[in-house]
Amino acid sequence: MTRFWKDGSPPQAARPTGPGRRRVATSQVGLMLLIVGAVFSVLAPRFLNPGNLLNICTSASVVAIVGLGMTLAIASGNFDLSVGSTAALAGCVTMSLVQQIGVVPAILAGLATGAAVGLINGLIVTELRVPAFIATLGMLTIVRGAALIYTRGRDIYLYGQTQYKILSSGFTPVLLALAVALVLWFVLQHTRFGRHILATGSNPASAQRVGVRTSFVLLGVFSIVGIAAALSGLILSAQVLTGNGRLATGLELSAIAVVVLGGTPLTGGKASILGTLQGSVLVAVINNGLNLLNVSIFYQDVTLGLLLLAALGLAASYHRRIKSV
Amino acid sequence: MSNPSTAPVLAVQNLSRRFPGVLALDNVSFGILTGEVHALVGENGAGKSTLINILAGVHQPSVGQVLLDQRPVIFPDPLSSQRAGISVIFQEFSLLPHLSVAENVFISREPRRGLLIDWATMNRQTSEILRTLNLEIDPTTRVSELMVSQQQLVEIGRALSAKTRVIIMDEPTAALNEREAVRLLEIVRSLAASGVSVLYVSHRLEEVFSIADRITVLRDGRHVVTERRSGMTEQQVVSAMVGRDLIHSTRPNRIAGPIVLQARDVSVDGGLIRNVSFSLRRGEILGLSGLMGSGCSQLMEALYGLREITAGSILFEDRPLRMANPRAAIRTGVGLLPEDRKRQGLFPDLTVAHNLTIGAPPRWFRAVPGILDLAAERCKTLDFKRQLNIRFRGPNQRISGLSGGNQQKVILARALAGNCRALLLAEPTRGVDVGAKAEIYALIDRLVEKGIAIILQTSELPELLRLADRCIVFAGGEPQGELRGSEITQEKVMELATGLSRRATVNSATGGVE
Repeated sequence: MTRFWKDGSPPQAARPTGPGRRRVATSQVGLMLLIVGAVFSVLAPRFLNPGNLLNICTSASVVAIVGLGMTLAIASGNFDLSVGSTAALAGCVTMSLVQQIGVVPAILAGLATGAAVGLINGLIVTELRVPAFIATLGMLTIVRGAALIYTRGRDIYLYGQTQYKILSSGFTPVLLALAVALVLWFVLQHTRFGRHILATGSNPASAQRVGVRTSFVLLGVFSIVGIAAALSGLILSAQVLTGNGRLATGLELSAIAVVVLGGTPLTGGKASILGTLQGSVLVAVINNGLNLLNVSIFYQDVTLGLLLLAALGLAASYHRRIKSV
Repeated sequence: MSNPSTAPVLAVQNLSRRFPGVLALDNVSFGILTGEVHALVGENGAGKSTLINILAGVHQPSVGQVLLDQRPVIFPDPLSSQRAGISVIFQEFSLLPHLSVAENVFISREPRRGLLIDWATMNRQTSEILRTLNLEIDPTTRVSELMVSQQQLVEIGRALSAKTRVIIMDEPTAALNEREAVRLLEIVRSLAASGVSVLYVSHRLEEVFSIADRITVLRDGRHVVTERRSGMTEQQVVSAMVGRDLIHSTRPNRIAGPIVLQARDVSVDGGLIRNVSFSLRRGEILGLSGLMGSGCSQLMEALYGLREITAGSILFEDRPLRMANPRAAIRTGVGLLPEDRKRQGLFPDLTVAHNLTIGAPPRWFRAVPGILDLAAERCKTLDFKRQLNIRFRGPNQRISGLSGGNQQKVILARALAGNCRALLLAEPTRGVDVGAKAEIYALIDRLVEKGIAIILQTSELPELLRLADRCIVFAGGEPQGELRGSEITQEKVMELATGLSRRATVNSATGGVE
């Protein structure tokens, strides 16, 4: 498993020790959330409207679901750049099938599509030994292309399928995100599979020597990420009742951003489910607040980037301080 | 070095340093004389690193002072310590790998002509300095292309070029092989002879006794003793380090039981190891020994399913065995303590409990398969903590916070938790301090007594002599011979490992013609 951000340094080099990193990062993101929320509720009176808060929660949930999957991938020492494309493809598949086979089977078909893409990602990484960065970068364009081919570049509209709309209305996305979080938290904390994910991410050579089937673990992780991406894609497509091959462009970056903001280090071996949830809410709050203040969408991207740099910079300086004591 | 003056060039007086929750140094006083090799020894956590860091200007003392030429000095940062003539050669070198040797030697002190660096002078002076260290390399070579031992000499060269009066070396031979280490010791001696003082920090008492004029022992942050080398025995130094008399244990006489593991004409990875046969019995330790590249560690990996066995067969308790991977090995009843703890053993991000239980068999996981029983994990971890005398705060402490010896015990416990009947120990005491080493030996004795069969691969001959009942010596991927009990001596092992005896027999067989 190659990790491109390591820049060739040996795996044991200068890994920060002690419980500091995660705790600090999660409390940081919680604190930021409070501050940003307070600022927006003063500047934009509509911010605290129940309707607006639900909006925030809905958009946070879409990113959170992918981000939670991504948390597992990053904890295993990998990550997945193809999630945006996977979300689009899954959305299109489901949309095209709803009228023929009914809502529930179509949803299952969409999720299965995600699982299949994830499995392929996993096989490329474990069998062909291609680093996850390259493998999923390739899959990013392949799957996006596949989605566009599948829809012939056109939108798939669903008229009058209000049943399907349920997926994106009311509290459904929030409940789905919380359910995913709960399941993945349980997996990480209480199952052998979860423990093996962390072990693989922490030190693959050790993991192999204690009998962890690292290939099997990674196949599982990538499949979970695929399913999570598909679920997000289904919610997104249900919001507009449209299947579109260009849906969820750039979702991979927001997903990685919320994981990192939440304090899960890119070096693998650790995961913070709660942090990812908080990170998702923070990003959603900022985007929403800037919207309310009529700030251009372009500035929102800049803000997200700055936020990410600030979070990582703070974490890094904290560790320098710890080290120099 | 033979005639050090009596006034210390560098000294510490009533030095204490407090970190949150620990008193790392507690009222330490001693001095280093001009032109002397002063050894500083102590177990991990004795305060050696803190002391070095204070002298290097990385940390500041909480109480007490540093004296340079008997005048108190304060080093607020590393630069001021360097300017005062103190150079520290840390275990992790501070060279810049992409720059040339000369650039590294003269970094931030480059000879200039006007605004430009005077490359010719810089390269010439670098060559001169390195020649005094017996290092003949082109000063324009990139540091990244040098071997570790050469890089270390470049570091020393840098110190010399800066007109250093005191060189502090932190475990300088840790990364060197035996020949390189011998050369380094010669260089240290000649440095001292030329009037430079050396503070030599090391675990290895052999080295300390071959080189030091005086020895200072620290324990738990306190100064135990400073004494001329001639006034102390190795045993006394060890006792001073660990604070008690280590029972100088010897190998107990053991009676081996039935055969557990048997190898017949085994070859590994298409000729990496050839024609190995042995049988391992219950309650005995079989040693594997050989020089670097002799194939011992590859054989260990093959026995654990990490390498392919291409010919021959292995029997485990009389059943033929194909170990395709470590998973299969563990299931069969083979455990491993890996050679490189950091790279192959630890999960630095995980807790002690998780590190310990990760290889455990599924029966620890209750009712539903795949669900962890966290309470049982905790319980087992505390069990092993008591049994193996592992020191840590709690099962949820991250393992990277433990000392090397305690980390090693956790990994040993992990192998034992798998209920292995044959245990492969690769370099079981590498990077652990003297006290932990003795404990690990006693532990291994206990395991053998309980009937576990052990294969021990070690590069430390004293360890082999202390533990192994029998020993197979390898050279070039082939077994050179087997030694038993009292036959295992340093000379015999080296003879076989270097292929001396074999050549001798071949020579006599062919009438000395080669």
